[in-house]
Amino acid sequence: MIALVRYMFTVLLLSQRYLAPLLLFLGLVAVLTSSDTGPLTATYASVAGAMLPCSVWLTMTLIGLEDQAHRSIVVVSAGGPLRVLLATVGTAATWCLLLLSAGLVLPLLFGTHTPGLADLALGTVAQLTSACTGMAIGVICSRLVFRRQGYALVLALVLLLAMLLGKGVTPVNILLTHLQNASDSADTLAPTGALLAVTTGILAAAVAMTHAITCRKA
Amino acid sequence: MLRCEAVGKRYGGGRWVLRDVNMDVAMGDVLAVVGSNGSGKSTLLRILVGLSQPTTGSVSGRPSRIGYVPDRFTGHDRISAIGYLTHMGRIRGLSGSAARARGHHLLERLSLVGGWEAPLRTLSKGKAQKVALAQALLVQPELLVLDEPWSGLDASAHGVLAEFIDEVAAQGGAVVFTDHREAITETHARGSYTISDGRVTSRGGRHAGSRTSMVELVLTVPPGVMPIAVNWSVLPGVTETAQRGGEVVLRVAREHSDAVLLTALQHRWSVASVAGTADERSCRADVRETAR
Repeated sequence: MIALVRYMFTVLLLSQRYLAPLLLFLGLVAVLTSSDTGPLTATYASVAGAMLPCSVWLTMTLIGLEDQAHRSIVVVSAGGPLRVLLATVGTAATWCLLLLSAGLVLPLLFGTHTPGLADLALGTVAQLTSACTGMAIGVICSRLVFRRQGYALVLALVLLLAMLLGKGVTPVNILLTHLQNASDSADTLAPTGALLAVTTGILAAAVAMTHAITCRKA
Repeated sequence: MLRCEAVGKRYGGGRWVLRDVNMDVAMGDVLAVVGSNGSGKSTLLRILVGLSQPTTGSVSGRPSRIGYVPDRFTGHDRISAIGYLTHMGRIRGLSGSAARARGHHLLERLSLVGGWEAPLRTLSKGKAQKVALAQALLVQPELLVLDEPWSGLDASAHGVLAEFIDEVAAQGGAVVFTDHREAITETHARGSYTISDGRVTSRGGRHAGSRTSMVELVLTVPPGVMPIAVNWSVLPGVTETAQRGGEVVLRVAREHSDAVLLTALQHRWSVASVAGTADERSCRADVRETAR
């Protein structure tokens, strides 16, 4: 599994197609958090919001990189499509973790804050929640499910908007509104952790669905 | 080992690509699947390696170490050939250095010149095909599946590919490959299946080791010269002699064929053709075909 993640990570790194989502993320973080002096909960809410589209983009890019012949070889070498799909999600998660670390540190440099441990923990959990949702959307809208990426892009945008705007229904929307109104990180950590658990479940469901569809189509 | 039972395949509600395919692949087998373009050869191979699920029927006994070479390997990656092989080796459980060494060895045998460090995307079709072939052999496969492996390879690589196939079979692995040219499948396979209209029929197998063990010589009388009569049947290695029109057809054991050729030339016979054949039955069938 590690070898698979390493291979996919390298392929994405060499293709340089990670750059656009990375720059979008850094840009969004810079715009949303610079000269910010408010509580860190609201700051990390903005960062988590920025993480969502970037994680979708990264995941779709990662899966779209390899053509069918290459993927067949990887699937045969690894011994099954599920292992490859899980490794793909693992690779996307690795990239999201890189973004996440930037998303934790940059707001502290751009604004004036006094971060505590609870703030950093909250920032991590909030971004992870977004990243899981984003990866779930990315996997479903990937080349594995949609041969025609135009439709996939439209669906991805619709799902993204639904996740962001679905008032009180979607985990990301609940997370963002909750963090915007909270002021103490330690208090909000527990409900955010619960939301992370929910989105992990959503990611698992998305992976299972994608696997089922790929197997049917193959 | 690998067994397909009543395998059928269609995509969505489309036409049946394969129907009622029964196929047995035993250890040490070298099987060819012959068919025209679009006859479903690639689909059959994808089912054999487990990339594709059959719509009906079942495939059982698939080994765990499979080498698969797809028909197209258009690398658009920026990763280098040797880097790619190292990664593939790691995915197959080799250590990084072992994978790299094995990759070097394979590329050397395939004489991939000037492409080791070049990105895959810059490789020509033939070179990319060599890399695709090398990745399938990083670990000794128990089942090697090759989709039109000869297309794009240069002549020297043809020989290396045949060696690879023999090595896998010699170590107890099975090899299944496709090609649309019967000449190639005749030389390399010990058994073959023909595929047409989604149906697969076996054309019988040849016994391992017997391939090209016999040579068929066809000698003619050169114009203007009367050759010296030779009692062919007493020469060592000659198993059969026949007169066909003005020609003499000899079947000679492979190890004696050169000596018999020399004798024929020294006695002023002209050589019309030399062909390797496998066993008695297939040769007789050929002769009958020609006679008709």
